Amino acid sequence: MIRNQRFWVAVAAFVFLSAVAASIILYFSRSESTVRIIQDGKVVTAFELEGHPDEELVFEYEGRKNIVEIKDGRLRMRSADCPDKLCERSGWCGKGSLPLICLPNRLVIEFTASDTDAVAR
Amino acid sequence: MRLRPLIMLAAASLLVSCGSSDAQKQRVLYSMDTYMTFTAYGENADKGLSAAADVISELDGKWSAENENSEINVVNIHPGQAVKVSTDTASLTAFAKDMYIITDGALDISLQSVVKEWGFTSLEHHIPDDARLASLLKNTGADRIEIKDDSVTIPEGMTIGLGSVAKGAAGDIAAEELKRQGVESAILDLGGNIRTVGVKPDGSEWKVGIRDPFGDGIFGVLLVGETNIVTSGGYERYFELDGKRYWHILDPETGRPAESGIVSATAVGAEGRYCDALSTSMFVMGKDKAIEFWRSRRDFDLILVTDSREVLISEPLKESFFLQDGCDWSVTVIE
Repeated sequence: MIRNQRFWVAVAAFVFLSAVAASIILYFSRSESTVRIIQDGKVVTAFELEGHPDEELVFEYEGRKNIVEIKDGRLRMRSADCPDKLCERSGWCGKGSLPLICLPNRLVIEFTASDTDAVAR
Repeated sequence: MRLRPLIMLAAASLLVSCGSSDAQKQRVLYSMDTYMTFTAYGENADKGLSAAADVISELDGKWSAENENSEINVVNIHPGQAVKVSTDTASLTAFAKDMYIITDGALDISLQSVVKEWGFTSLEHHIPDDARLASLLKNTGADRIEIKDDSVTIPEGMTIGLGSVAKGAAGDIAAEELKRQGVESAILDLGGNIRTVGVKPDGSEWKVGIRDPFGDGIFGVLLVGETNIVTSGGYERYFELDGKRYWHILDPETGRPAESGIVSATAVGAEGRYCDALSTSMFVMGKDKAIEFWRSRRDFDLILVTDSREVLISEPLKESFFLQDGCDWSVTVIE
């Protein structure tokens, strides 16, 4: 009987501790990414901009390319195969709430203000 | 028997950890010349989002300035004729006409030809000369639009565009559709217009930031239940020439970018189309007129930022608006 009881205490403790661990992981994994890139309605990548290694990301939509450059904790649309080039003109963007949008190529780079649910602009 | 509390605790902890990953569903739409992010919670979230997305694409087909066959463009190519449109379009056009009258001309959907002349639709920007503007302004004035039995008639020479009210109205209709599908908690971002449904799934209020008109981030946050938050600023669509910035919000009186001293105007209230119309109107009106307007109506709330970094908020918002940490602008409560 005692052994049986110990077994169940151990099971309960295990379940409790794994739930606590899962909660902690879920909680922190939510606020990790400050930038997400969405193309054609799908999140293609999300990352923390601060401390991100310098890199060039290439996104293709219907054969047209967008090149996003990440450097020194900022990013910009380095080039875009689209008629208006509006996104290129936005220049370098830091962390904040400003989205960088290339509508013709359905590309959106969002800075998610991690402590708000949305930003009116 | 002593085991029962332990097992219950373990079971409860499992529930809590599942709860924190709440059934959040999200959908991104490219519509109305912008992109929209809809987030809904609960078991009906998927169904609700699909229905809301369908509604938005249907409205885009009616109101789009870019789609030649949209109802609005059919009205535009048949001036002087009563054009039969859907009830949604007739109702929004009538609403915009009323807003022209109520705001003393600050909101004018008949300014489309002037907006085009500046190149804000084609993105081939240029500064029109005075004579050209004067001649275009002869054909504006939304009070001259006639709406009768779902038919819209515009006078010869006029072109209308619903850009200043469409996203707000779309938010109202999408929110209604979400509720019809059983969604009790959702937040819709329609190109920066924010519409909430209910409160957050945990029962707390939504925290909505407001874009800093001078920089990248936000200057303040608003805690809200079910409402609309619509902000207009000169930073969204603009071009620069010889060091001067020209934005897309035009003063209907001059046909030039509105320079009223207001750099960001936010309207908060129950009706999205009203807030959408008012954020634009207040940006055009300037501080004094906007305050006078609010005092005469009090059926919405406002947050204005002036070019000297003064923030003005209407009295009901004083408990729910907070400046962002590190923002030292002065805040004045309007009563």
